[in-house]
Amino acid sequence: MTRLRALGWMALAVMAGAGIVALLPHVLGTTVVGDDVERPLGENEMQRLAQAGGYVARVADCYACHTVKGGGAWAGGMPFKTPLGTIYSTNISPDKQFGIGTWTRAEFHRAVRDGIGRNGRPLYPAMPYTSYRKMTPEDVDGLYAYFMTRQPVAVENRRNGLPFPFNIREFVAVWNFLNLGHGGFKEDPSRSPVWNRGRYIVDAVAHCGECHTPRNSLMAMETDKYLKGAVIEGLEAPDITKEGLTRMGFDPQSLVRFMKTGLSAQGAAANQMLEVVHFSTQYMRDEDLGAMAAYLFDLDEMPDLASPPPAPAPVPVPAAIASSAQTTYANLCAGCHGPRGRGIPGVVVPLATNASLRLASPRNLIHAVLHGIPAQSFPGRERMQPMPGFADVLDDQAVADLANWLRARWGGQKPAVTAADVAKQRPGAVQTE
Amino acid sequence: MTLSTKPLSLTVNGHAVGPIAVPEGLMMLDFLHEYLNLTGSRMGCGQGICHACVVVVADEDGSLREMPTCITGAHWFNGKQVQTIEGHASYDGDGNLVGLSPVQQAFIEHFAFQCGYCTPGFVNGATVLIDQLKRKPVPRAELESTIVAALDKHICRCTGYVRYLEAVRDLVLKTPGLVIG
Ligand code: FES
Ligand code: FES
Repeated sequence: MTRLRALGWMALAVMAGAGIVALLPHVLGTTVVGDDVERPLGENEMQRLAQAGGYVARVADCYACHTVKGGGAWAGGMPFKTPLGTIYSTNISPDKQFGIGTWTRAEFHRAVRDGIGRNGRPLYPAMPYTSYRKMTPEDVDGLYAYFMTRQPVAVENRRNGLPFPFNIREFVAVWNFLNLGHGGFKEDPSRSPVWNRGRYIVDAVAHCGECHTPRNSLMAMETDKYLKGAVIEGLEAPDITKEGLTRMGFDPQSLVRFMKTGLSAQGAAANQMLEVVHFSTQYMRDEDLGAMAAYLFDLDEMPDLASPPPAPAPVPVPAAIASSAQTTYANLCAGCHGPRGRGIPGVVVPLATNASLRLASPRNLIHAVLHGIPAQSFPGRERMQPMPGFADVLDDQAVADLANWLRARWGGQKPAVTAADVAKQRPGAVQTE
Repeated sequence: MTLSTKPLSLTVNGHAVGPIAVPEGLMMLDFLHEYLNLTGSRMGCGQGICHACVVVVADEDGSLREMPTCITGAHWFNGKQVQTIEGHASYDGDGNLVGLSPVQQAFIEHFAFQCGYCTPGFVNGATVLIDQLKRKPVPRAELESTIVAALDKHICRCTGYVRYLEAVRDLVLKTPGLVIG
């Protein structure tokens, strides 16, 4: 009897606990969504908004995360390996059973801007609502209208692979409480419309900061290191502040071209950034790309003419490193990149002006040397040939010497790469970040 | 641009070559063609993609690997053992052909070539694969994917892939010890 009673008490306690947990989003949540979205949109409105919404969806790059390769458009299922476990993107096609077909306008707004799902439970912040929070209600309406007019795809959402306690969504409310900014987007009246438009795209719709701003131990963006670069899945999403872009050799115009085509003297877009170009930035209007570039370079308008910043001055390297690297370069790199690092236009990227040699971190360069880069196609039918990886041809010291010499010669970076740095990026090495 | 040379010594098809002064940055393909008159390695893409130009290189432990010669400098091969397409068949003292390598033989039996331009690369690639299977046999069920993975990078403009794959599969299956089960 006593045991039964104890069990009963425990069950009650668990239920009470669960009740409190379920209340968390309501107690801790703040919304930026106004009451006016309770009114459903009329058919004409939906049609008009859907067109504009298609563009917003492109800028926001929704497709990249909500469509798996070979899967139905917008049907979700893309895995995201977070340090806490795997999260799958959801079906945002208008399918009534598995997608968002029965969602109201208001529910959609709350999901996109507050990060609260239809059932009142929080979404995981892998969905960048921290940035989308700053989107205008009009743009969110556009998205809603756009998705609701897509083809429904009846694909069930996949269960997230998150261990306890991360599988309790309600706890995200605590995270939101601690990390979510409370307000939406505010224009800076002291700056030009172009600058403000650029900031709106960068911060809100295109959510650049989600990859380019480092995160703290709570996985929230570190606001004091805004856009200063971060490591994502073992690669560096570089510093895209004015200083960072200048260091990489970009000027506002070449940055626009890079976002439009994925190609530039600073190298070709690769990995996640290539996807961004592929699904998103190539489709952006020139004036929006210009606004982004103007904002990132902190200019109130795009200059008519810009010239690339001067190349960094070469840094001397010890003779032993230079001789090892020069031999490697002549033997394995010069065949494609040329003895003077000029590359072959449209085929092989130049190294002499390559951003990955100028970054403070050698990570992306080492990654390319070890693992190579797959063949890639770019907007406008441009293609890049694959670069072979040299993991099984060069030892750690040879790669370190090469990286040091390349970075010193063309990137102006001190030769600080060690064999141990290289070892960490070998296939099968345990990633510490 | 000044042409600076560096001495190069290597073993090609069992013969010691060098030391010989070779310009730095000269690609191996050009060295084979122009210095050694070994013209069997083909220049296809010149970009490390088609693998028509690959030769076989022996690592220190004797295991073989393919290396493209169009984008690899001759000096990378310094001190190494290299086998080109000319080094597969055996000849008697008078230079008469006395036998083909098992890979060459299998290719002939399967008529596994059309124009033959890509064939040297395929012969070298298949030779490396056989060497790898000798060291590490694969289960029968994985044979097909192993062959495809090994030869996938070789491009044949005549699209003769099916016969190449058949020839290699046949050779692997009739050579004892390359597959498990
Ligand atoms: S010619 Fe060397 S790989 Fe094509
Ligand atoms: S047989 Fe002609 S290219 Fe392969």
